[in-house]
Amino acid sequence: MTRCLDEVKLQCYFDGELSIEMMESVTSHLASCATCAAAARELEEESALLTAAFAAEFEESVPTERLRQRIDEAVLGERLATARSSAKTGFFAGLLNFGTQRTLGYASLAVVLAFAAIFAVVKMRSTHDTPEPIASTTPEQQPANREIAKAPSIIEPVNPAPVNISTPVRTTESTPTYRPAKFIASSAPKPVPVKLLPGERSYLQTIARLDSTIKSNKGMRPALQVEYERNLAVVDRYIAATRSAAKSNPNDPDAADFMFAAYQSKVDLLNTIADARLGGGPRH
Amino acid sequence: MNGQARALIESMPNDIGTEAVGPLSFDEAFTLHHRAVFRTARAVVRDSALAEDVTQEVFLRLYRNLNSTPGEELLRAWLLRVTLNVARNTLRGQSRSMVRDNEYHKSTAETGFFAEAPEEDYERRVAIEEARRALDKIKEPMRSCLLLKQQGLSYREIATSLSLKETNIGSLVARGRKEFARVYGKIGGKRDAVSG
Repeated sequence: MTRCLDEVKLQCYFDGELSIEMMESVTSHLASCATCAAAARELEEESALLTAAFAAEFEESVPTERLRQRIDEAVLGERLATARSSAKTGFFAGLLNFGTQRTLGYASLAVVLAFAAIFAVVKMRSTHDTPEPIASTTPEQQPANREIAKAPSIIEPVNPAPVNISTPVRTTESTPTYRPAKFIASSAPKPVPVKLLPGERSYLQTIARLDSTIKSNKGMRPALQVEYERNLAVVDRYIAATRSAAKSNPNDPDAADFMFAAYQSKVDLLNTIADARLGGGPRH
Repeated sequence: MNGQARALIESMPNDIGTEAVGPLSFDEAFTLHHRAVFRTARAVVRDSALAEDVTQEVFLRLYRNLNSTPGEELLRAWLLRVTLNVARNTLRGQSRSMVRDNEYHKSTAETGFFAEAPEEDYERRVAIEEARRALDKIKEPMRSCLLLKQQGLSYREIATSLSLKETNIGSLVARGRKEFARVYGKIGGKRDAVSG
């Protein structure tokens, strides 16, 4: 007869945590040892008691549908937040990320611009007898220094081509696009008189295509639909507000940029929805 | 993931590693494990509404870490460890409130969830409360071992969830079970359990 079984081995036996050989050994011992058999019965009774005690807790319904809905919404919010933050960091990082080389670049550019501005002022004063200095060409704009620093007419004297926003229509890729560099490039050295319409048109076309892609794919989950429409309404209000601001301030590049950023938010949203639907949910 | 869990996963042969098992998709993980997560959360926070919050947070963390979570074999253990952590943190910020839980059940009953006869609901609530009171008397980590064992976790999963040695789990479960039976019998739950 083998040695009697301790409590832990018995527990492991009933929990199915022993090797097959050990299980067989314990089984044969229990058949031949009254003491261990009694201990096993007690253990079984206590285990049954434990199971019964937890039954009410574990049998209580789990609100699967509501959890699914909440988690879907939370994941969608997470994706939107990620898209927005990546867009923002992309935009601001470009402005604020001062590495050594970049700092040198900015410094040299500033020196060149300063010389160019001085040269332009001197030349204008000597050739024309105009009473109007450069800084006062757009008197309604507050940051006059910025106007001088940009000196757009010196670097690119002609109004450049309008912003060519060619956001591709991507219905299956997961990362929404954002083109902050284009905004910076378009806003920094360029005077902005008529760039609103072309840029807007491009965005509107992209949005229309994405919208039709989403609509053509029927069967959106109700939770997703509600969240989508809510976010869409917010973005549309944002667009309307920035658009009216851009229209009323046609010379303000910031106003145009805000409007384009609003359009980009909508493109991001539509891309996210298209991804979520075509991908069958958030997958990696 | 702490060192022990990582060591556990790294000690596995390659053929059952994370990649070999193949990660579950987020949807599959939810379908398979949301009940265990919700029940574990509810057993800790004692509040169904809070348990929903915890479950949401756990799956949000899964979503954020889909590429770094263990494979299918230990995913439930990972989820339940996160559940225990989130639930305990939630408890620290909340006072336990049966009132809130009762209100939650009232509202869900009104909307069709868990609709039951009042007497059945009362008896069930009493049974749950007795079990919870008994469980409260059990010291950690035996308490969590019992909770996870009742959810059907293997010793290995329990060890991963609680950052314990797998060889100690049998002992902890055995001691916890004996202690629970003693305390539960005192509370009066044994009578109900035997008669039921």
